[in-house]
Amino acid sequence: MNPKLLEILVCPVCKGPLDWKKPAHELVCRACRLAYPIRDDIPVMLPEEARALSPDEIHGKA
Amino acid sequence: MDKTTHFGYQQVAESEKAAKVAEVFHSVAAQYDVMNDLMSAGLHRLWKRFAVAQAGLRPGMKVLDVAGGTADLTRLFLKEVGDTGQVLLTDINFSMLREGRDRMLNEGRTPPAIQCDGERLPFPDDYFDCVSVAFGLRNMTHKDQALAEMNRVLKPGGRLLVLEFSKIWKPLEPAYDLYSFKLLPLMGKLVAKDAGSYQYLAESIRMHPGQKELKAMMETAGFAKVSYHNLTAGVVALHKGFKV
Repeated sequence: MNPKLLEILVCPVCKGPLDWKKPAHELVCRACRLAYPIRDDIPVMLPEEARALSPDEIHGKA
Repeated sequence: MDKTTHFGYQQVAESEKAAKVAEVFHSVAAQYDVMNDLMSAGLHRLWKRFAVAQAGLRPGMKVLDVAGGTADLTRLFLKEVGDTGQVLLTDINFSMLREGRDRMLNEGRTPPAIQCDGERLPFPDDYFDCVSVAFGLRNMTHKDQALAEMNRVLKPGGRLLVLEFSKIWKPLEPAYDLYSFKLLPLMGKLVAKDAGSYQYLAESIRMHPGQKELKAMMETAGFAKVSYHNLTAGVVALHKGFKV
């Protein structure tokens, strides 16, 4: 994914900032507890395609 | 019971429309550009050029292409804003977006491509100088919500361009209907091997708000100085509005 994009993209639900989890190919919104996938270098910013974070991930253990 | 909306001439649950539209575009993605040339006799290229000429872009500006699909507008916008500018190619449909992104990669460009919903844009407030949606608004379930989102991400003074099928000049209606409901599905069947998607196209054009209704919708969404320009006798209209 183009790193410049990270400066622009926000969560489509809460419009808050995202963390780029490079190894997992995900963009994470902590507030909404959602991880948006990056597929074939294309960020998929659709809440219905996002993965719900597990409690461990939310508390920063994973 | 879920609220219903139109999908062409059918009534479907609001929650089902996006998936049905996605099916249409997934099915036609590979043949999309060929079909556009064939169906419009190449005119879609002129409509898009006209839209980009109305964008008032200068080098360095930031542009969002909503429902940008195979990147026809994005490629034209890039020429206007240059290397210091920024054009984001977005679409809700992964198949269409990948066609557009790969087409640009083949031309040696690496445009940022993002899969997102026009009704829930993943961009900050007051960011873009120009937002365009060409042949996309028609397929959205909540058009008012999408227009409000496009307004939100524009800078004050920024402009929205909506290029979309519209209401044709009345005397041409019978001929246009014959073309749309007999010839289009036939071409779709022969070229894209999919008559149903082109039947949907013809129906969705009839269900889309006309010139004046869309202008009113843009004003309700907060746009000022909204104007429109008919192209090819109103087969298509370009609406333009500014964020206050």
